[in-house]
Amino acid sequence: MIEVQNLQKIYNVKRRQSFFKSYKESIEAVKDISMKIEAGQIVGLLGINGAGKTTTIKMLTTLIEPTSGTYSFDGINAIENPSFVKNKINMIAGGERMIYWRLTAYENLWYYGQLYGIDNNTLKNRIESLLQMVGLEDKANLPVETFSKGMKQRLQIARGMINDPKYIFLDEPTIGLDAVVTKELHDEIRKLSKVREKGILLTSHYLAEVEELCDYIYLVNKGELVVEGTKKDLTEYVYNRKQYCFSVQGMDENIIMRLHNYLISLDIDVEIVQQDDRAIITSKFELSSALAQFAIKENLIIKELYEIEPSLEQAVIKLSQQICREAESIA
Amino acid sequence: MNFKVFCATIKKGIQIRIRAYPVSFMVGCILTSFYTILGSYLMYHYFFLGQLSESFELNARTTDYMSYAIVGSLMYQFIVRTCLNVSRTLITELREGTLESLMLAPFKRTSYFLGNMTMQTVLTIGETAVAAVIGIAFGFRISDFNLYHFIVAISLSLYGFFGLSLMLGCVMLYTRDTYISQNTLFAIIFLVCGITFPKEALPYCLQLFGNVIPVTDAVTLMRASLLGGLTDSEFLYLGLQEFILGTIYIVAGMPLMKHVEHIALEQMEG
Ligand SMILES: Nc1ncnc2c1ncn2[C@@H]1O[C@H](COP(=O)(O)OP(=O)(O)O)[C@@H](O)[C@H]1O
Ligand SMILES: [Mg+2]
Repeated sequence: MIEVQNLQKIYNVKRRQSFFKSYKESIEAVKDISMKIEAGQIVGLLGINGAGKTTTIKMLTTLIEPTSGTYSFDGINAIENPSFVKNKINMIAGGERMIYWRLTAYENLWYYGQLYGIDNNTLKNRIESLLQMVGLEDKANLPVETFSKGMKQRLQIARGMINDPKYIFLDEPTIGLDAVVTKELHDEIRKLSKVREKGILLTSHYLAEVEELCDYIYLVNKGELVVEGTKKDLTEYVYNRKQYCFSVQGMDENIIMRLHNYLISLDIDVEIVQQDDRAIITSKFELSSALAQFAIKENLIIKELYEIEPSLEQAVIKLSQQICREAESIA
Repeated sequence: MNFKVFCATIKKGIQIRIRAYPVSFMVGCILTSFYTILGSYLMYHYFFLGQLSESFELNARTTDYMSYAIVGSLMYQFIVRTCLNVSRTLITELREGTLESLMLAPFKRTSYFLGNMTMQTVLTIGETAVAAVIGIAFGFRISDFNLYHFIVAISLSLYGFFGLSLMLGCVMLYTRDTYISQNTLFAIIFLVCGITFPKEALPYCLQLFGNVIPVTDAVTLMRASLLGGLTDSEFLYLGLQEFILGTIYIVAGMPLMKHVEHIALEQMEG
């Protein structure tokens, strides 16, 4: 099992101001991310561009070191043993990188196989079965330059499987692919996890993609986890959730307690958090009139009562839905 | 040393090279050789002819300037082609989007670099041989060939050039530049390393500068193995010096390269 806790990454970059002047800048790409990935499971990392998904994946693949946080890989400290991790993982990125365009499909897989020190007979059989798996067996001896985007992406999947990894990291694997190819790829990914028992981490900014594929989802924004859960949890979180800000004169814990007792008869799952002299109420139901009635009944003077605008995390989700819809309308 | 990675890297390099530009590759190779020789020929006839002073003969240890310059130029061509291509390997991987997939694999970098160096050396030896044949038409004569010295000279040169390529590779990957750094280095080498004239003709400080580049001694050794002019003990002394210099470059270059790889991966966005 892969388990990371409180992962943080700060990039220190030099920016050029003019020809002679440059200044340093720290970018906190990942603030605090904790997650788990188990074999046979597809875990989704959902977030808009710049949320910190790629940075997280690069830390998990040991390409870069986290600034702070812990990373345990099958019980071993991954940050101190990158070679151990590298042998058991692989990464597949969207776009057309990570393969040599001037080599043929077969030559690509052969070269990467050599880098992993796979013995030649095993490698030969593995390449054949991988090429078959991604449907490129009759294109094996053509240079990658002549491939379509979808074919390149499928070759990348084969490359990502060359060392028979236990965990695979997929960074926006369907970016720039049309709907038909995307669907094929989704089937491949599902097979990897369900048939071949791979642990998979998939990043995406399409809610629909994550919803379709993932057993467990982490939603990130600005380098922080916003919410995590199964598809069902997340759907409830997104679609059936209202938040109110409620404040009265002389607000104290006593009032909060009475408020809770009152609201719980309307919604058994209601959550109330006190922030200064405000109560933040989260519920599946429309509660504004109930709140007003509570104030009247208790003889309290209302200072504030309003429904909180859909919060940042909801905005993230709305946005990803929007991007998804746009992508579908293009496709 | 990982033999699989070593061999695979040689194979990959040749496959890519040949698939990329088979015809221009051959033509380019022959043209470079021709221009190199022509350059030394013109230099000889328009600058030095009849003006070779006694001090030149003393420092160059030969009176056959044409052969002196051709050996220098051949070595120079050899360095330029080898260093250039070896140091460029990682930045090329970066530009073609394969650096990350490469670094994902848990292999030893030394074998990778040695593989590239070997592949490049084989190709460049071919080119240099072509150039040497062209050189004969321009008056290149091997006057005092010593096979043992020649083998030692070649081995030590490759050793030194490997170190130099590593260093240049670090600079290139760090600055993400392949143009300014390489051309600066090649200009300096041409000037201070005794390529077409003895380095003793330079001001003292430039001579010192030449002494810390593992090319100067390599050129001198190679020349001595083909044209003579050095005693055995002088040869041994220079050989040792080249070996130490090359070792310093390699010992410093390997960890530095690792560090620069690190930085390159950190700087990669997306
Ligand atoms: N190598 C880097 N150096 C500096 N800043 C970076 C680097 N890589 C990413 N960033 C910044 O970190 C943030 C997160 O980026 P990234 O992890 O690529 O997000 P995502 O993959 O979710 O789009 C962005 O603001 C991005 O500009
Ligand atoms: Mg990304």
